[in-house]
Amino acid sequence: MAVVSALVRRPLEQVSGLLRRRFHRSAPAALQITVRDAINQGMDEELERDEKVFLLGEEVAQYDGAYKVSRGLWKKYGDKRIIDTPISEMGFAGIAVGAAMAGLRPICEFMTFNFSMQAIDQVINSAAKTYYMSGGLQNVPIVFRGPNGASAGVAAQHSQCFAAWYGHCPGLKVVSPWNAEDAKGLIKSAIRDNNPVVMLENELMYGVAFEFPQEAQSKDFLIPIGKAKIERQGTHITVVAHSRPVGHCVEAAAVLAKEGIECEVINMRTIRPMDIETIEASVMKTNHLVTVEGGWPQFGVGAEICARIMEGPAFNFLDAPAVRVTGTDVPMPYAKILEDNCVPQVKDIIFAIKKTLNI
Amino acid sequence: MRKMLAAVSRVLSGAAQKPASRVLVGSRNFANDATFEIKKCDLHRLEEGPPVTTVLTREDGLRYYRMMQTVRRMELKADQLYKQKIIRGFCHLCDGQEACCVGMEAGINPTDHLITAYRAHGFTFTRGLSVREILAELTGRRGGCAKGKGGSMHMYAKNFYGGNGIVGAQVVEDGDCMLS
Repeated sequence: MAVVSALVRRPLEQVSGLLRRRFHRSAPAALQITVRDAINQGMDEELERDEKVFLLGEEVAQYDGAYKVSRGLWKKYGDKRIIDTPISEMGFAGIAVGAAMAGLRPICEFMTFNFSMQAIDQVINSAAKTYYMSGGLQNVPIVFRGPNGASAGVAAQHSQCFAAWYGHCPGLKVVSPWNAEDAKGLIKSAIRDNNPVVMLENELMYGVAFEFPQEAQSKDFLIPIGKAKIERQGTHITVVAHSRPVGHCVEAAAVLAKEGIECEVINMRTIRPMDIETIEASVMKTNHLVTVEGGWPQFGVGAEICARIMEGPAFNFLDAPAVRVTGTDVPMPYAKILEDNCVPQVKDIIFAIKKTLNI
Repeated sequence: MRKMLAAVSRVLSGAAQKPASRVLVGSRNFANDATFEIKKCDLHRLEEGPPVTTVLTREDGLRYYRMMQTVRRMELKADQLYKQKIIRGFCHLCDGQEACCVGMEAGINPTDHLITAYRAHGFTFTRGLSVREILAELTGRRGGCAKGKGGSMHMYAKNFYGGNGIVGAQVVEDGDCMLS
């Protein structure tokens, strides 16, 4: 008996050793996803999760979205959930706000936020102010989203940045994603939020692919509104930006790292309510501040950051005045050479950083 | 000249039957002008409305044709440049719709005010700007009508208020123009 069991044990051990042997596993290649697909995925998951969510806008249904952000959604959810509207922003924004008041959760897409100026009365007066005006009785769980800011060669009436305009209004939440992870997390948080949220995307970022970490692929991946992210740790200077300029700041930081200047790059993610605590903590560490944005300088996002830093504890830690890098204070020109010089470029950011550091 | 052609046509139509008469349509068959009938408008508190017939003379006809042909060729060139990405951003063309801008210009005076939406190239031309200025504007050059800063949708001329990118904006602006 003992002999038999001994005879059986060795092969069994060998077999179990074989079973225990695994293929050599390297880490899976990180999933790359474009910002467009991330927003699409976020909306798809929220449409699936809650049947009160619906999308309306120009060309969102049968054309798959003017920038193909809502590709495939009409095929999946049909006419009742994905609605094509006529070219009347005031009309359909008003319809969306009314639907939100009645209990639905609309996502109102503006083809670009320039056109939202036609509907801005609905966004501000009908959506943003209602919760306060009604004493907390009537909330408006609506999301306004669309591309914001400069594109390529679309001239003055199609290139305005509305971060400052919407960020000015109490009652509104304003978010501005940079990469794919931001886009998906923020659109999901915006849809689940019971307040009116304006999501300022960027047309030039739609086609850019980013690494999509594991947790972002989950159906419940949310990014809290009102929390900034430190994209790159640094010690010499704090650089704050939102949307596309974050990418430029990261590039500038890489160039300056070679010269020994370590920049801390903060991606605001949310314009309103602004995460000033993160910026203050960073300024208290680095003692220098540069803000970067695509919009015009006067009364802009950078101006607000500087004012708040001055009002808070971080002011005493500043070794030099904060500098704003912004779009040029003109309506966006059409000619390429003029347009290139009207948006902040990597060289402008580097120049501002060196100026602040007195190098 | 006309008599000579008529004589020749008579001779030729005598000599060879069908082909000649088809080839040489007698010049005496060309009219010098054409009359068009216009649908009568419903009138409200007016004694008489706009005229119900109009006459297009040969000179005018040729002039309009020349303008339309110029606009067509300009737009086709702009199309080509847009595909080569020399024109950037938006480029809304009116090849095939030249009659709108030429016809409208024919119906108004140069001192009347005109405004349009984004399909503005033809109107810019009929309002007096040269093809050179328009194409320079489309390609972002300093010699353009807006010094290269406006682009396709933002062209202006005397008594011509653009060129508006936002759909519907021209309707309200037109009302304001009329008020002034």
